[in-house]
Amino acid sequence: MGVVVKLFIVIITVLISWIGYKVNNIIKPPPLPRLEETWWGNGDPWRTDKSIRPFRVNISDKILEDLNYRLDHARPFTPPLEGIQQQYGMNTKLLKEIADFWRNKYNWKEREKFFNQYPHYLTSIQGLDIHFIHVKPKSIHHRVLPLLLLHGWPGSVREFYELIPLLTTPQKDRNFVFEVIIPSLPGYGFSQAAVRPGLGAAQMAVVFKNLMKRLGFEKYYIQGGDFGAIILHHLAVLFPEVVLGFHSNMCAIYTPLSYMKTALGIIYPTWFTREDHTERVYPVTKILVDRLRETGYLHIQATKPDTIGVSLNDSPLGLAAYILEKFTTGTNISYQNHEDGGLKNVYDYSDLLDNVMLYWVTGSMPTAMRLYSETFNLNHMSLGITRIPIQVPSGCIRFSNDFYSSDGILNEIYPNLLHLTDHEGGHFAAFQLPKVFAADIFTAVGKFEEFNANNKH
Amino acid sequence: VLKDLQQRLTNARTFVPPLEGIQQQYGINTKLLNNIVDYWRTKYNWREREKFLNQFPQYTVSVQGLRLHYLHVKPKTQQGFQVLPLLLLHGWPGSVREFYEIIPYLTTPTPGRNFVFEVIAPSLPGYGFSEAAVRPGLGAVEMAVVFKNFMKRLGYEQYYLQGGDWGAIIAQHMAVLFPDQILGVHSNMCFANTFLSNVKIFLGSFYPPLIVPKEFEHKLYPLSNFFSTILLEMGYMHLQATKPDTVGVGLNDSPVGLAAYILEKFSTWTNPEWKNLEDGGLTKKFTYTNLLDNIMIYWVTGSITTSVRLYSETFNKAQMSIGIEKIPVKVPSACAKFAHELAYSPSTVLKEKYHNLVHESDFTDGGHFAAFEVPKVLADDIYLAAEKILAANASQK
Repeated sequence: MGVVVKLFIVIITVLISWIGYKVNNIIKPPPLPRLEETWWGNGDPWRTDKSIRPFRVNISDKILEDLNYRLDHARPFTPPLEGIQQQYGMNTKLLKEIADFWRNKYNWKEREKFFNQYPHYLTSIQGLDIHFIHVKPKSIHHRVLPLLLLHGWPGSVREFYELIPLLTTPQKDRNFVFEVIIPSLPGYGFSQAAVRPGLGAAQMAVVFKNLMKRLGFEKYYIQGGDFGAIILHHLAVLFPEVVLGFHSNMCAIYTPLSYMKTALGIIYPTWFTREDHTERVYPVTKILVDRLRETGYLHIQATKPDTIGVSLNDSPLGLAAYILEKFTTGTNISYQNHEDGGLKNVYDYSDLLDNVMLYWVTGSMPTAMRLYSETFNLNHMSLGITRIPIQVPSGCIRFSNDFYSSDGILNEIYPNLLHLTDHEGGHFAAFQLPKVFAADIFTAVGKFEEFNANNKH
Repeated sequence: VLKDLQQRLTNARTFVPPLEGIQQQYGINTKLLNNIVDYWRTKYNWREREKFLNQFPQYTVSVQGLRLHYLHVKPKTQQGFQVLPLLLLHGWPGSVREFYEIIPYLTTPTPGRNFVFEVIAPSLPGYGFSEAAVRPGLGAVEMAVVFKNFMKRLGYEQYYLQGGDWGAIIAQHMAVLFPDQILGVHSNMCFANTFLSNVKIFLGSFYPPLIVPKEFEHKLYPLSNFFSTILLEMGYMHLQATKPDTVGVGLNDSPVGLAAYILEKFSTWTNPEWKNLEDGGLTKKFTYTNLLDNIMIYWVTGSITTSVRLYSETFNKAQMSIGIEKIPVKVPSACAKFAHELAYSPSTVLKEKYHNLVHESDFTDGGHFAAFEVPKVLADDIYLAAEKILAANASQK
């Protein structure tokens, strides 16, 4: 071979190696960061009450009368445009129906009893009173596995109420049952909010690690969706020694490698994606436009939470419109073509309003929205924890109307994926399909238990 | 309406305090909001403000099925002056109120000039006292058609345009669609979005002096800064372009919520440095009274939802596929570039869209709400531009 050809080969090799090196730098996970145990509240760290205090939901009449007044005096709604259902957001004809129900049929005193059917507690973690529900199974003939369940936005502990009896009641074919610990995220519902900036998803993982420690759990299972899943991803990466297994209903992956794989798949869609799932990933432009259409809330909450928070905390119907819109398209994107948003197909207005009430009576929507700005900012994102793989046993359930990651992409973050299911359903799956949800958790944990037994050292 | 407003202001639920050490970086600072609400509740006098708003003659006229509200102010001295009809278009979250201080300057002769303006300032459809569309489709392009017909109804075949924010966008479309009607356009938010204008901006990121003078380089480059600023400030636009009817409910039901939402813009868009001020810097350039006048126009008319629909009616596939951005503006144009305007376009970029750019000015002060904030400066620039526009049109004949 001539000198020129040899030189050419050398140059090409060097170029490819250099590109490979650069690409590798982009796709390799960042180093594991160490997080501070920040004090998030106002109290004195040296003199905090570390006890676990029982709590009952007991909202004052003043708040309820004020709510009724506001509902009675709501300003007239702007009617929807001709021929439009939910395509411009909440259809005010639907909102009127919900407002009527809220004012005339919804009975908070009854709902309070419903809320209090399970034992609630408060305990102070890193300066914040964290609210949680703790339900132990009645039967003690089975192994009792602790399970931490985390909700997201705009959800709450309410989403798990139908799930709790299913998880804490022994199943015929299982030798284990769960005791569930269901906290409200800091700044949500009855949990206190941080007084200083910085409490993003990673920092919340630290708080929950400490919560479970306070409750006396050395090792436990974890389950979450929406922000719950994001926080638990952080927990599983930062504290794998406490996590026996991770079940998620939002195994969404946003890493440079996953983008590259998706891009490659444009040429050949089934490279990384199951054939019957390709329309959930391709065409990429359509998926991106659909995402763009549904993420306005995310953009404003990640940048100006305190601005949008004012109206949502002052107008109950403004709050209801904002939250319930998510329950329409989040459950099924085709519900945007339904004047009634499809809600009655799937949920009771009572149950939906329970969730809205948790935000209203506690005035927690503004602090809840701050989780977005605390997580989606350069500082937090540069921790890069969601780019670090989860080594603990994992299971994913992908609901048809929720965020999706292809099979060939999951393994980057879930190398120890023992369980993968697909099912019809939406973003608020625990709320919408508690039986399916519970069954899947049992199945996944069954596999985790087997794996853990075989891998004891 | 006023009693109801007082009730709501008095019974506003307690605001969540800002995070420690934060001013306006998470949005409106609720300590500032408390001060404004107190002022609104105790000092702001709507009956007086009504008199203020009524100082100029106002009318309504029906155009394409919508009853449109407008101010029509003729110059007091018309003898010996050429009277130029000027259509002033406001934007979001503004209103005709933004023009109250500038109108006297425009309708009063200036030394050494033989022309003066008669001002027609309408409320955009769906804003303030103008009716809103009942069916979908009324985007910025369709509004250009409405205003062409509006001016025709008022008896003007040819006229001048001035606008900022949506007003600038609608004015730009009018100049493209109806060049025979538009004698000249002055904008305080000129922009270009053609293939070549974007190519130039991109090329400029490799060697900025190609595209922008050194003193203004930082306003556009590095592009990454520019995009992250856009990202930081465009949440409202993303939400309004996709779910206007959702966000509108709370804003129309809570006056303090509405005030928070609107005033955040008057702070950050007037000067982005004001994000670091607990009081948002508002009183440096505005009075609470004037700011509340604007908010009241949205509140008393309940028009916030219909106003934000302009975003979803414009930022959608159907409207964007019209491709009007690609068509150049051939009528004589003028661009006033204020220091803190949200986006900066260098001359060479603007010229891809404005093929007859007769006047450009750069200011070391002033922000997005120029007419409201620096009325005399803007008025002077409009007069200067008009001289050049008149000259350009004269030499065309």
